[in-house]
Amino acid sequence: MLQVILDGEASDEQKQYFKQHMDICLPCFKGYELDMAIKQLVKSKCCGGDAPSDLVEQIRITISQKIS
Amino acid sequence: MAEETTELSQEQPQIHYSEKEKEEIFHGEFMPHINSMYNFGYRLTLDGDDAKDLVQDTYLKAYRFIESFQKGTNAKAWLFRILKNSFINDYRKKSKEPNKVDYQEVETYYNSEDVDRQITPDLRVEALKDMIGDEISNALNSLDVDFRTVIILCDLEGFKYEEMAKILDIPIGTVRSRLHRARQLLKEKLSTYAKSMGYKNTNV
Repeated sequence: MLQVILDGEASDEQKQYFKQHMDICLPCFKGYELDMAIKQLVKSKCCGGDAPSDLVEQIRITISQKIS
Repeated sequence: MAEETTELSQEQPQIHYSEKEKEEIFHGEFMPHINSMYNFGYRLTLDGDDAKDLVQDTYLKAYRFIESFQKGTNAKAWLFRILKNSFINDYRKKSKEPNKVDYQEVETYYNSEDVDRQITPDLRVEALKDMIGDEISNALNSLDVDFRTVIILCDLEGFKYEEMAKILDIPIGTVRSRLHRARQLLKEKLSTYAKSMGYKNTNV
């Protein structure tokens, strides 16, 4: 259940249930907090930036040759 | 090649595009995903040159089979699926991945009722705040490629479970269980880092 909430795939009922449950259950709250922190950290640390420009250039050249 | 043609053209009926339309789709819908595609390629191969070859092959295939792509549909998922298949067919064989996990076993276990019970490793949010270098990236890269892949698709690229199922050709249930297991493994890695950084095992 934690996972579908985390990934934004939960139904409205699940969200509602989870919200209420979090208020009374500290372990679930902590677990959710940790998983969310990791998810955000993965996104901010592993996205890698731009593709190498020579790769982009090479693809453009190859495709333009195929088109012409 | 024959196999590939069948595979790519099975899902969508072939559409005829003019040369100009092909060019527009390629540059307008495919090329904008180049950075994500390169990152995916790099995270799969863990090698810059291999990643370039893989991404270039993928884009050439995408162009060759462009008539199986329906304009305006999810180009990113379509491209990711081609890249993943190219990786499996061309690169995985030669890469050194010695430890094979029995996924059937793992997934049967994680599909059971125990899934929602958290097996929390000794890791706290505070410890994560100090992981400002390559710890996260290294931990992700150290996971077995199938586990790494679901985290990339979900957490980095924001694909929905249904899209991931299509990209990976596996049922949604398997996506969910694999993702659950992947996160558990990632947490274990990060927990090890946290310990080495001096965080004590303080169970909350």
